[in-house]
Amino acid sequence: MSATATPETTATPEKMKRFDCMRVLAPMLKSELVILSLGASVDEWYTAAPHMREASLFQQQLGCVTPQAFGLAVGLPHRRIVSLDTDGGMMFNLGILATLANERPRNLLVVVWDNECYQSIGGPPTHTAGGRVDIAKIAAGAGIEEAHTARTLDDFEALCRRGLAADGPFVIVAKVDRDSRRDIRRKHSDGREDKYIFVRHVEATEGIVIMGPSEHN
Amino acid sequence: MTPHAVEAVIAGLKAAGVSVVCYLPDSLFKELYPALDADPDIRTIRVTNEGEGAAICGGVFLSGKRAALVMENSGLRAAIEPLARMGMGAGIPVIMLMSYRGDLGENNWWAVPHGMTMEPLLEAMRIPYRVIDEAAKVKRAIEDAVTWSYAAYYHSAVALTGELVR
Repeated sequence: MSATATPETTATPEKMKRFDCMRVLAPMLKSELVILSLGASVDEWYTAAPHMREASLFQQQLGCVTPQAFGLAVGLPHRRIVSLDTDGGMMFNLGILATLANERPRNLLVVVWDNECYQSIGGPPTHTAGGRVDIAKIAAGAGIEEAHTARTLDDFEALCRRGLAADGPFVIVAKVDRDSRRDIRRKHSDGREDKYIFVRHVEATEGIVIMGPSEHN
Repeated sequence: MTPHAVEAVIAGLKAAGVSVVCYLPDSLFKELYPALDADPDIRTIRVTNEGEGAAICGGVFLSGKRAALVMENSGLRAAIEPLARMGMGAGIPVIMLMSYRGDLGENNWWAVPHGMTMEPLLEAMRIPYRVIDEAAKVKRAIEDAVTWSYAAYYHSAVALTGELVR
């Protein structure tokens, strides 16, 4: 099935697996906070990075993962924030790339898992599937100088290291295959429980109160 | 907006502890945006659409800082999807301050639908709101909206109309 293969993918016939990429990224993370996208990647991430469970918040809506991560980066400028977004999510709101280019957060790494499909609903193609739409080039055109595409795990690892130390917005588009891991434990929590877990983690690690006690009145 | 109304909005935001404002500019709040940009205590973020602004505000909430989304009321329509998901799905609140286009006094045909849809949409979303047309009530309304959102962990809105915006 290589009818839509680009010259680059022809040179690298085996696409990366998202789970393998996550296992490369996970050990690099310690005090970071992660906002991630919906679908099977949630279970993959919690399996690949169990030490980041409380520090990672899954968001269900297309187009909101990187904006939320950016809002977190604005509020916690001393802390590195990682957005694990998707091709479908990024295509939903390309405007965030322009916003990031203008706002220039110094603590935000954006990874886009580009599997060229809407995997969670069975795999119909996204706009990147035809080989013409290039999210890294769109990001570069929006004004993000550090916008890159990774096609090998070595490249992905090197880009993550740079992105986690970068002094401005950094986008990595990881070209991954369509498959997801089916042999891993599903997350049992809903969005509300996830938010409480995440907020309590931010409170504990920052020494702040976000959701405080009720008033006695 | 009169300088007095602009001052009242900024005083309300500060009294409520808001330090980040996401906005997509509109004409009725024309004088408010540069005043927000110029205020040293408020970080402004210009966004490409109000849904993006809502999501950024949600992220700011998760950081422990307080944010507000400032926009024309038509922006509510653009923001409904992320508002529904964040508010109803996760309990992540967004405080909104919007100009009430399409209210009585509207002089543009294209803005009439903004007025027809704003309150029904807020009600459909179960978002409590206050419509304000006096500068003296602006600060309290913004403070009350933020207080409510930090008790309910759900969205709230203040809409400014009448002599405040015309």
